[in-house]
Amino acid sequence: MSTTHATSETFDRNARAALADPVLHGALRNLADSFVVRRRNAIASAGDWEDLRERARSIKDETLLHLDEYLERFTENAEKAGSTIHWARDGKEACEIVLGLVRAQNANMVVKAKSMAGEEIHLNEALEAAGIEPVETDLGEWIIQLAGETPSHIVVPAIHKTKQQIADLFVEKVGIEKTDNVDVLTQTARRILRQRFAEAQVGISGVNFGVAETGTILILENEGNIRLTTSLTKTHIAVMGIEKVIPKFADLDVFLKLLPRSGTGQRLTAYQSLITGVKNNADDIGPDELHIVMLDNGRSRMLAHPLTRQSLACIRCGACLNACPVYQQIGGHAYGSVYPGPIGAVITPQLFGLSKAKQLPYASSLCGACREVCPVKIDIPALLLHLRSEIAEGSTRESQPTRKLGESIAFRMYSRIWSRSGTYALSIRAARLAQRFVARNGKIGKVSGMLALLVPPLGAWTERRDAPVVAPKSFREMWREKKK
Amino acid sequence: MMHSSSHSNARSSIFASIRENLAKSEPFNEEHQEAKSEPRTGVLFVETNTSEVFRESLEMVGAKCTFVENEIEAADRLRSIVGDRSATEIIVSDSELVHRIVNAAGINAIQDASRDELFSSAIGITSAQWAIAETGTLVLESGAERHRLASLVPPVHVCIVTTSSIRQSMAEILKLMDPDANRAITFVTGASRTSDIELTLAIGVHGPGELYVVVIKDQ
Ligand code: SF4
Repeated sequence: MSTTHATSETFDRNARAALADPVLHGALRNLADSFVVRRRNAIASAGDWEDLRERARSIKDETLLHLDEYLERFTENAEKAGSTIHWARDGKEACEIVLGLVRAQNANMVVKAKSMAGEEIHLNEALEAAGIEPVETDLGEWIIQLAGETPSHIVVPAIHKTKQQIADLFVEKVGIEKTDNVDVLTQTARRILRQRFAEAQVGISGVNFGVAETGTILILENEGNIRLTTSLTKTHIAVMGIEKVIPKFADLDVFLKLLPRSGTGQRLTAYQSLITGVKNNADDIGPDELHIVMLDNGRSRMLAHPLTRQSLACIRCGACLNACPVYQQIGGHAYGSVYPGPIGAVITPQLFGLSKAKQLPYASSLCGACREVCPVKIDIPALLLHLRSEIAEGSTRESQPTRKLGESIAFRMYSRIWSRSGTYALSIRAARLAQRFVARNGKIGKVSGMLALLVPPLGAWTERRDAPVVAPKSFREMWREKKK
Repeated sequence: MMHSSSHSNARSSIFASIRENLAKSEPFNEEHQEAKSEPRTGVLFVETNTSEVFRESLEMVGAKCTFVENEIEAADRLRSIVGDRSATEIIVSDSELVHRIVNAAGINAIQDASRDELFSSAIGITSAQWAIAETGTLVLESGAERHRLASLVPPVHVCIVTTSSIRQSMAEILKLMDPDANRAITFVTGASRTSDIELTLAIGVHGPGELYVVVIKDQ
């Protein structure tokens, strides 16, 4: 697929390609139907949902305002329980630390549990370059790895692929008979990955929450591959963004109510692993070593402003992706970032630089669906506007999204005509006359040719959606008639 | 070990960056604001039958749940789940409760299974230290029982719990946890599952595809 290696710089082009891809649309059609409905049903079982959201946000706000103290407490308690803490300023440092740890075990293969932080620092590429084979064990991630692609969703990485495509992939890569049975595909993954688990010495995971009070890391999942990764291996390496810390063990309650309901529409995912250091008894089951790699990679910068700081409250549930009308149409790859969708449009420019992702803050109609579903009440539209104004202010003309010459002349004209009531009324009457030739059933379909040239941006607007017609009478006109 | 100078450099520069950026932030409130961690409406105390709620929640997540009066009945139930499997296919944790019931049922099983035995086993039998009624969750504490792999690797997990270990909510359970004494606490809600292919539910991807819960009523 052409969008696989898309970058954020070329968002416009990627989005166009995605819109024209019928297979992608087939794959994405499930998103709104299943996830959105499941989420709605699940939050009904949570009691006072608004109260939960507010509590979660206030816990995150308090933590972020004193992030240094909570990180000190977390790492101190984790070390007391036998974890080894590492610090990485950026992705390169984090990868080097992980490579050093894997080499120290003389391992030439590692099993991996899905981790967005791992994706963010391109850990697989670093491992491969060092001759170490990374084996993704989450079903979706494994599919993506077999296909040589990148995830297109932060919870369901292979959402852009249809069952047919996955079946073809399995036929080609692991030599099964062609099937359209999801259970057969799933059991194939189980069978093959079991062998890898049996031989693995080192496991790499992410972290959902790190508890300062106890030094505990909590990881949620449904499949069981994270439990296997963190209990069968001798060495467990966890890559954790510095914003993942929360103050108290009891705070987990709120987040365990919010995250599964928002992410997959479950009351609780099948498994939560709460790991505190290493086993305190040599006979016990579990790794001998736990290494936690604390990753900054641009996060501390976001603390500088109350508006940008809230991006760090994100618990990566994916609800804003599922609810977003833009994401629903174009999928994740078009964003050209490991973090797609509304939250991706907000954190990609902040993590990797505004200049690399100038189009992303514009990839939104500001409808507010993301803000409405976000379990930690992140004001994503406000953040998008903030980033847009930074782009507009801080940068030179060419950094602004390009608007065609015709369009900018047209917009200047519209603003002249429509800022005076006389010329406004005149223009509306003219539009009513003109639209007779193009309107059908109260809508204007695809406009091209002369008319598109004469009335920009009507051509672009109607390329993929209908334009509404001007009403036969305006409200003012009706009002006047009534008063007579 | 890894504690090179680059470690301390990275640590101190991350902390410096955190403090610097927080200091820039307006308005900057030095005081800790007590995070709003208590619910706004004090939790209504509803007299509920936690066992009944637990049973319903387990059914909702597809676990097969049986309530029995005593350990003898539990042994009967276990025998019918195990069927005519051989000893090499059944592994158990080191729980005394499990051992008593497995013995009463006349089942031969392996404790402290090797990796090979684990991976070829058909059933794993463990107990759980606690259970959460409102979500149908089993709580496994590593300090109390070596059940981390027996509950995970075999395709079928049988878990034996007593009614006295059931609590209504996650909040109550979190208060009971001692993460220092239990270095791995695992919450289990239903069988292993995935929706990674076209969001279609598939059961038993990496963990057990079947979960049986036998609940013994305390006298
Ligand atoms: S921004 Fe909110 S809704 Fe989006 S992934 Fe993060 S927590 Fe979920």
